[in-house]
Amino acid sequence: MQTVARPVIVGGFRTPFVRAGTAFAHLDVLDLAKAATGEALARTELDPAIIDEVVYGNVSRPVAYHNLAREIVIALDLPRGIPAYSVGMACASACVAITTAADHIAVGTAEVALAGGAESLSNVPITYSPELARAFVGASQAKTLPQKVTSFAQVRPADLAPVAPGIRETSTGLTMGESAERMAALNGISRAEQDRWALRSHQLAAKGWDDGRLAREVSPVYVEGRAVTMDGHIRRDSTIEKLASLPPVFDRAHGTISAANASPLTDGAATVVLMSEERAKALGYEPIAAIRSYAYAAVDPADQLLIAPAYAIPLALKRARLSLDQIDVIEMHEAFAAQVLSTFKVLEQNGAGHVDEERVNVMGGSIALGHPFGATGARLVTTLANELRRRGARYGLASACAAGGNGAAIVLENLAA
Amino acid sequence: MTTRFEEREGVGRIVIDRPDDRINALDPALVQSFGEAIRAARASGVKALIVTSAKKDNFVAGADLDFVRLATDPAPVIEALRAMQRVLDDLATLPATTVAAINGAALGGGCELALACDWRVAADSPAMRIGQPEVQLGLIPAAGGTQRLPRLVGVASALEMILASRRLTARRALRAGLVDEVVHPAALERAATDVARRRPKRKAQGGKTPAERAMTWLAPARRIAIDRARTKAIVESRGLYPAPLKAIEAIEVGLRDGMAAGLETEARLFAELATSDTAHQLIDLLLTTLRQRREAFDDLPAPRPVRLLGIVGAGFMGSGIAQAGAVAGMHVRLRDIDAPAVARGLKTATDLTADAARKGVFDRREAQRIVGRLSGAPDLSGFARADLVIEAVFEEIGLKRRVVSELEAVLRDDAVIASNTSALPIAEVARGARRPGRVVGMHFFSPVHRMPLLEVVAPANGDPAAVATAVAAGEAMGKTVIVVHDAPGFYTTRTLATMMGEAALLLEEGVRIDEVDEAMERFGWPVGPFRLMDEVGLVVGKHVADTVSAGRIGPTPRAVPLLVQAGLQGKRGGAGFYKYEGKKRTPNARVYELLGVSARPPHGDVVERLTLAFVNEAARCLDEGVLRSPAEGDLGAVLGLGFPPYLGGPFRYADANGEALRNSLRRLANALGERFTPADCLRDGRRFYQ
Repeated sequence: MQTVARPVIVGGFRTPFVRAGTAFAHLDVLDLAKAATGEALARTELDPAIIDEVVYGNVSRPVAYHNLAREIVIALDLPRGIPAYSVGMACASACVAITTAADHIAVGTAEVALAGGAESLSNVPITYSPELARAFVGASQAKTLPQKVTSFAQVRPADLAPVAPGIRETSTGLTMGESAERMAALNGISRAEQDRWALRSHQLAAKGWDDGRLAREVSPVYVEGRAVTMDGHIRRDSTIEKLASLPPVFDRAHGTISAANASPLTDGAATVVLMSEERAKALGYEPIAAIRSYAYAAVDPADQLLIAPAYAIPLALKRARLSLDQIDVIEMHEAFAAQVLSTFKVLEQNGAGHVDEERVNVMGGSIALGHPFGATGARLVTTLANELRRRGARYGLASACAAGGNGAAIVLENLAA
Repeated sequence: MTTRFEEREGVGRIVIDRPDDRINALDPALVQSFGEAIRAARASGVKALIVTSAKKDNFVAGADLDFVRLATDPAPVIEALRAMQRVLDDLATLPATTVAAINGAALGGGCELALACDWRVAADSPAMRIGQPEVQLGLIPAAGGTQRLPRLVGVASALEMILASRRLTARRALRAGLVDEVVHPAALERAATDVARRRPKRKAQGGKTPAERAMTWLAPARRIAIDRARTKAIVESRGLYPAPLKAIEAIEVGLRDGMAAGLETEARLFAELATSDTAHQLIDLLLTTLRQRREAFDDLPAPRPVRLLGIVGAGFMGSGIAQAGAVAGMHVRLRDIDAPAVARGLKTATDLTADAARKGVFDRREAQRIVGRLSGAPDLSGFARADLVIEAVFEEIGLKRRVVSELEAVLRDDAVIASNTSALPIAEVARGARRPGRVVGMHFFSPVHRMPLLEVVAPANGDPAAVATAVAAGEAMGKTVIVVHDAPGFYTTRTLATMMGEAALLLEEGVRIDEVDEAMERFGWPVGPFRLMDEVGLVVGKHVADTVSAGRIGPTPRAVPLLVQAGLQGKRGGAGFYKYEGKKRTPNARVYELLGVSARPPHGDVVERLTLAFVNEAARCLDEGVLRSPAEGDLGAVLGLGFPPYLGGPFRYADANGEALRNSLRRLANALGERFTPADCLRDGRRFYQ
């Protein structure tokens, strides 16, 4: 299909990101998605009647419904004629939501779209073992009581234990942290370098809040008569000594990854409003940034699980006809400090260019802000767009690594620069 | 078309169809044609029969009230009721299994008609409501309702439904056992037909559970339920509303002496009530309320739709209005000064919604949709698209003007700004506005979700379309809307403040605080004037009195200013006209000290003096054009202020008392001053209603 329009971002808002099990513990992922999307609509003063589609990312899927995006449309009582669908690419899910919507705008199948993602790690679905689940289904299909009882004949006591969602890579059996330890070792990233990056993340995040840049893109969430207005993870009292004192968690004997140089389990949601440039202008919106290009890449999970952005970034830059040094601001998802620093290293090794750390995560990253899996991509893009605008800089890059060896990179352009 | 019997594949159908009307309301002609249809059904020998309505979303909405409202002689009323009872007996004794297919409102006689069938299948539709709301009109069910309802759902449930005039949704009715199945409207006829074919005739059980049945059929147990209901009814009706006690009597007689005696009793008691002034006033009030839905728009252009409602001020009032807007289907954006205030406001609105869902006003999923339409912010984000913004900030003119100016900076030019002030003149609030014409008053009453009135204030230079938009929004929120012209205190606050001022003058003469309150409560006001002032708060009360009394005739009451000066605040502060200790309330002796009088018994009639002060002020509002019509004055007084409903409102009260009222006013004017001089419209002796 031929490109007919340039997709632009006219606004993006997110909930505060808070530690799982705390302020949002009693909110379902839909409540969070609703809050972010409702605020994105209100704060962009957008008439819901002109929305063509809603695309939403989410990783830990609720069992009560199958399509979070559509639930948002219904729960906010938006016009029922807005089609909506959910997408998934683990921690890059919201990136997929945004680029999918951008594609539709580019080819003219949509003019106004909402894209984003949400995650409630307070409320992960706990399921039955396959044996028990099959027995329940069998029983529900059985016609007689004896048949129903027989369905459970194969169930063993061990099958009664609930099953939590997978945290290990299916192909390697390693957890995310173990995989990151491997990356740290392969790329020679020291504990000290990781702790320094983590400290930087917290300090910049605190600065981002103090000077009001983050507050502009975070909308309060109102829970049971209380307002949650701030991100919950940022440690203002952190020092390099304190960070160094924490024990490694994934490889207790030889490891370098502690609770503090990894991103924490987080609840939150973020939504971006996208339009064609033409439509935005017709409606009187000044685009914050345009989506100039994007790329996805993937690697063998057995190699370096979270390194795919190092391959997606050069591809996205190539598609944007830009080089890395032309990029003024970079928002990179910080699953682990080790993963960020590994990415810099591999980019340089592969000849993609040197990353100027000063341009990366200038208001902190996922280590300090938190990482609600499905939402992070929309946070990256929102912060990047706003910061480009604020600085009057022209090009920005957002990237996210994801379970399974996937990676995403999105290039934004500030049209006013 | 008309009511008819049809037969199709062995199943009979009676279609109720009042000719040339949108709804089915029972009158002697409809009862007669329904009776003929039943005879045709009997003659046809069908074994299965469904009773259904030809009207959309309406089964049978009740009796044609015009018939009752003019009744003065009990004999023809009893005759008409017996005819209806015989027809329903005929229906109940058909050899066929009978099923009511209830597609919408089945109220009063409609409910009784459904009760005379063996089974009831109801459509799962928002229009579906079933119940016996006669007591609300000062009447009782009298086409077997007091007999068949307790026999179906049990005496305890039946008492509750009848005495509280419940209108149950399909789901609630199913739970109560009043209907047997709830199906999608499209499947209603098929489901009813299936039930009529498959199920046997049924004998009423007297409740679903053994306990309910025991309560219905065992005399000592029944005694407990009936005594309890009677005690409650006596307290609540204060002897002013006879209908609840009559309903209880009819139920009691029927269960004790049998159905025939019960039917005879309910017809006789109904006829007594139907020929009383109380029922006539309550029926007129209902009819006036219904008419007002249309008449509120008199002389106004078409309203603009309100899709997005903005509220500034998330206090109890603001969040109550927000909730009412969301229930009406509007998206609502609630603004207050900071995030914690917004959070509290949203919680209030959410809690109100949850409460309503628990009470069955709407179902749980609808409650979720309502909450989904509510959002808030500590700024005016989301207001740019608002069609109507209602400010409910503190009653301070400077603050209100600031809000208006902030709103004008973000709102569309055609958006309406409404001030929820109870007394401040709208022209004052709008002073300095860029577009003052779009500023109107929307005076809600607290608590918003319970109070049925909205007083819309149209300023002299107001944009009529803005006024119409406010009226339409209020009606969408389920309120009865009156439109008044701009003046300090408008209509409701002004008349109430005048009566309160007169009460304060009584106090200065030494009349006891509790004596005034008790007399007014006995007369039918929900609370006496001093209790009310304590509830509202004396500071607010003084503020209102100052606003309203500017330029009024008569002495300025000293009590409230003196109390405020002495630091008394009312109930919240622990003392005002009364002292409050825990749940105990005692007249505050300090008040007499401050006024320098000693308590003594009143000379003359306290109630007469306060009521006439109210009525005369209402009449002045009509003279001055603050009120558009006597009907709006009556609705405002009864629905907004609690003017005793059995009196119908100040103008109906004036009509009923005519010359006597004028004479009393003249006597009071001679004794107390010109504030009691009859208003022009009272003086000429013309009736307000024909």
